[in-house]
Amino acid sequence: MKHTLKFIFSLSLLFSMFLGFAQDVPEISKNKDTTATKKPQTEKTVKTAKPEIQEVPKDSVVKTDRYGLRVGVDLYKLTRGLYDKDYKGVEFVGDWRLTKKYYIAAELGYEDKTTEDDRLTSSANGTYVKAGFDYNLYQNWLDMENLITIGLRGGFSTFSQELINYKIYNPNPYWGELPPITEGQKYNGLTATWIEVAMGLKAQVFRNVFVGFGVQLKLLTTNKEPNNFENLYIPGFNRTYDGSFGIGFNYTVSYFIPIYKKKTMASEMAKKEEPKKKK
Amino acid sequence: MKKLISLLLLFTFGLSSCEKDDICDANTPTTPRLVITFYDIANPSKTKNVSNLKVIGDKMDQGIVFNENLAEDDPLRYVTNASTVMIPLKVNDKTTTFKFIYNSLSETPTTINTDVIKFNYTTQNVYVSRACGFKTIFQLTNVAPFIHTDPDGDTFWMTEVDLENPNIESENETHIKVYF
Repeated sequence: MKHTLKFIFSLSLLFSMFLGFAQDVPEISKNKDTTATKKPQTEKTVKTAKPEIQEVPKDSVVKTDRYGLRVGVDLYKLTRGLYDKDYKGVEFVGDWRLTKKYYIAAELGYEDKTTEDDRLTSSANGTYVKAGFDYNLYQNWLDMENLITIGLRGGFSTFSQELINYKIYNPNPYWGELPPITEGQKYNGLTATWIEVAMGLKAQVFRNVFVGFGVQLKLLTTNKEPNNFENLYIPGFNRTYDGSFGIGFNYTVSYFIPIYKKKTMASEMAKKEEPKKKK
Repeated sequence: MKKLISLLLLFTFGLSSCEKDDICDANTPTTPRLVITFYDIANPSKTKNVSNLKVIGDKMDQGIVFNENLAEDDPLRYVTNASTVMIPLKVNDKTTTFKFIYNSLSETPTTINTDVIKFNYTTQNVYVSRACGFKTIFQLTNVAPFIHTDPDGDTFWMTEVDLENPNIESENETHIKVYF
């Protein structure tokens, strides 16, 4: 219940971010559309040399994209250890801009979590790595570098689980209820792999500093389970459910290290936008 | 943007629907009871109903409840007239002893007959699920799975006690057959 509440809080926080953006976006897209429609005209009609068009300086239609490496950390995992004594974890995130829209992205993390269920208490700890790509859906205006991404990851975790205590479920307690059995048992060498669809948002708050939110929907592909027990929590995948689905989210702060720049011509941009306008 | 938000909403609904595995479903097979079926000694293939049978665990005051709907001070709550009984074994022990009192509600003491059976077994705790925790399954020992005695010196009312299945893993099968 406590976790659900936390999740809802974080989600509403996430929504509030979207709300903030919702007001910006239409203006930008309006501007973009009008300029996009004007730009092809400037290109085509330059030779006819109409005075109004000549006023548009050529520099303004050239957009510079910065390419480089962005590294960051998941603040949620990092700070959760401060108020939740049953949790310790850290996640580093990174992405490398491959093309205008595509980014190679990866996450690397460690988690140690103790979970108290009604009838058993267990803990899981281990490391995980996730790698894949992000696709930026967001059309930035001029030198803005914000991202709304959808991406795919493959995840792998190697971890151990410990059964701390458990109760015997006896629907006929004629001989009385028994206290929990505290004979701890450790299960080592467990592994799991999964794929996840990641949706994220990264906003540049200062120069090169990004704040981001991400939500992931996960699907377990392989899961090496212990004998006479179950993987109740998989680092990186989070809590397991009856099926093979899982969810996760992160709240990141990252720093962009620019490595090189590419110039995009206005005509290129216009061509790319043509199919969009038809919608 | 709207698509994104609706997808996120879908996630939250997905989460709330996932919470149901936190409650142990009553239909989940958990710790099983020992199932005893009574047969007619004259016609061994036919089951036979017992008469006001009361089963009390050793050192216990109350008998096993067979009619949960009746009041706690109603003697009928603790007797059965069926042809099968299900009795819970101790999950934290290797033996459990029961008194089987036939005709327990009779006015005339001579018609009441008590037999005692001590069951010897080994236990194993088996994982069920996150919500249900573990269950205990039992295996009656190879040597002396049960010891049948007659404490009050009158004759045994159970003419023959047979081991049908030493592995007590579910309540859907008979483990002990009693002929009388």
